[in-house]
Amino acid sequence: MDTFQQILIYITLAMAVGYLVWKFILPKSLVRGKKQASKACGQDRCGCD
Amino acid sequence: MSKNINVALIGNPNTGKTSVFNALTGLKQKVGNYPGITVEKKMGVCKLPNGVKANILDLPGTYSLNTTSLDESVVVEVLLNKNDKSYPDVAVVVCDVENLKRNLLLFTQIKDLKIPAILVINMADRMSRKGISLDVAALEEKLDTKIALVSTRKNNGVPRIKELIADYASLSADPNVDTSRISPEYFSRLQKAFPNEDLYKLWLVITQDVNFTDIEKKRIEDATSFSTKSKTELKKLQHKETVLRYQFINNTLKETYKVDLQTAKGLRASLDKILTHKIFGYVIFFAILLLIFQAIFDWSTYPMDFIDEQFAIASEWLKNTLPPGVFTDLLAEGILAGIGGVVIFIPQIAFLFLFISLLEESGYMSRVVFLMDRLMRPFGLSGKSVVPLISGTACAIPAVMATRTIENWKERLITILVTPFTTCSARLPVYLILIALVIPEGRFLGLSYQALTLMLLYLIGFGMALFSAMVLNKILKIKSRSLFMAEMPTYRLPLLKNVGYTVLEKTKSFVFGAGKIILAISIVLWFLGSNGISDDFKNAESIVTQRIEEQGLTPYSKNYIQNNLDGYSEEGKQDSIRIMTPILKERARAQEIAGYKLEHSYIGYAGKAIEPVVKPLGYDWKIGIAVLTSFAAREVFVGTLATIYSVGSDEEETIKNRMAAELDASGKKPLFNLASGISLMLFYAFAMQCMSTLAIVKRETNTWKWPLLQLLFMSVFAYLVALTAFQILN
Repeated sequence: MDTFQQILIYITLAMAVGYLVWKFILPKSLVRGKKQASKACGQDRCGCD
Repeated sequence: MSKNINVALIGNPNTGKTSVFNALTGLKQKVGNYPGITVEKKMGVCKLPNGVKANILDLPGTYSLNTTSLDESVVVEVLLNKNDKSYPDVAVVVCDVENLKRNLLLFTQIKDLKIPAILVINMADRMSRKGISLDVAALEEKLDTKIALVSTRKNNGVPRIKELIADYASLSADPNVDTSRISPEYFSRLQKAFPNEDLYKLWLVITQDVNFTDIEKKRIEDATSFSTKSKTELKKLQHKETVLRYQFINNTLKETYKVDLQTAKGLRASLDKILTHKIFGYVIFFAILLLIFQAIFDWSTYPMDFIDEQFAIASEWLKNTLPPGVFTDLLAEGILAGIGGVVIFIPQIAFLFLFISLLEESGYMSRVVFLMDRLMRPFGLSGKSVVPLISGTACAIPAVMATRTIENWKERLITILVTPFTTCSARLPVYLILIALVIPEGRFLGLSYQALTLMLLYLIGFGMALFSAMVLNKILKIKSRSLFMAEMPTYRLPLLKNVGYTVLEKTKSFVFGAGKIILAISIVLWFLGSNGISDDFKNAESIVTQRIEEQGLTPYSKNYIQNNLDGYSEEGKQDSIRIMTPILKERARAQEIAGYKLEHSYIGYAGKAIEPVVKPLGYDWKIGIAVLTSFAAREVFVGTLATIYSVGSDEEETIKNRMAAELDASGKKPLFNLASGISLMLFYAFAMQCMSTLAIVKRETNTWKWPLLQLLFMSVFAYLVALTAFQILN
């Protein structure tokens, strides 16, 4: 039973770490596919600089 | 099988465009009546009566196709680019029945782009009250379109919109106004130079200040056969275009739209006089704020206590029901404690958004925006900055996006940089638990100290945003300012359905958005707190037992036993004291072992490593770990502490009680005392503890320079303020 619980712990831990890496470390372009940056600039080059 | 059709939902701000979108698609997007709610295009699907599916694209509100800001340019970009996959087969232009004249300017421009357009006249339920009469058939004929008279509040007319969309092929795509009349000679040259392009489309590309990716303004400017005009000349022609359009609109409405002014005058003017008064307006606004914070504390106490107890009971139940082992410990001490740290704040978050939603729905929030505009001017911000700053009380991420309505880049940048100072809902759990721990429960003029402290923290956040804006204004040297234009929507009774949706959506996004991160961090923290490689960790039980035999229990344990026995002494139950003493001693021993293990676990070593940095602020290594992990998101702070204090604990105790029982290094006074509590609250008031906000600032400014500067400034400032506060109060 102890070994089984240990295995469950490591699976849960791997899932948690995986989620955090996916959420905060992996670049979004890798996760969701490369998205072209908007080139629309407003007055005073708003949003372009 | 027929293909999906694209429908663009367009309209002026405050016309109920988002309500129409929600009614058509069933999506529960936030409905608000101040500009900036829709700053990006949003897509939903609607099934039409003929079985065809329509992709409904909700575009940001704009007064015309002559754009001045980034969010407005989204609209023009979609309408001009036929190759764009979002290019509409039909445009649904939403108008407000009370402001039809102004709203029709945009409609005529869209018609002139030769896009089939349906006119949706919203808020029709107010027509009789406002003395408005409308000849729909005549208006349809004059505007060469089909009209749906709807009231999204009363849920009337939506099927008619669906029917008209389904029948879009029968709509006329003829223009309303002959645009070549703006300047016949210029337009003739333009058409000769680009014979295959649509004339009005070319005109819009030439006059826009935005560089559309696929329209190639440069191609027009580079054309040798055509010389464009100077900016001033183009502006003059734009004005001429507007005059021409209003001539057409006036002629159209003269025979079709009547307003009985006697009926139209009402309570609104009198209410506006008071609510936007330069003294009473602020007094009323602050009174409302006080009421909100008082309610957050007083009303939510009961459900919060209930939730806290239920989680403590559930944790105990899990331990007693599941087979003993490390995974059971993880469920009871890690996962459940972490989730409990989020769920407990649902009542307070729900109350906050209930009030905000009521203010928005009633039309009062627009008056607040107007009121605050006066306050913002001296700080170098425009009135449009108020919307992001007020939205920031919910979350900095949509608030930073809402800055797209600000035309001036430097003004927009300042607003982006200062918005994270406003107190977002993620700070609320941190403040609430700390206020409950360190601020006494007394009252001043009927208002609790705790509610006043919370309000003060909101004002500090807002004040800091203004102060930073003033400093940035001086550093960045803003020369020009954008004008502030805000509509005052009619006062209306909040619709319970809309208020309910907002409360539900906001609470859901708090629980599920932050909850997943908190849960993952809780699991990692529990693992790091329950494991270690040193001999001290492995032999914790024998080391602590030997120490107790030689030196006795720690002052904290003695205090714990005494507190528990005090209750029995008062009741004179000597037998109970005799039975409970060894049990409590055993519990205290187990707690000391758990504490020793935690101190020598992985997380213990990490915490000890950062302790020298946080100690001057009055924090121990456990709080240091919570501050560190809450860099992902502020609300993680409480979940982290709940997990750390639960590791190895067999006690059925609430989060608040566990935190209240913690003693500082001297073992004489609570760890969470007035000095350390205030220091922590000030730290969270000023620190940029939110990775998502940094990411969105990077996206909005297209560089890492500004978010990194923001992070550095906010963190250093927060540290210094927290340090000063602790050193003074201690």
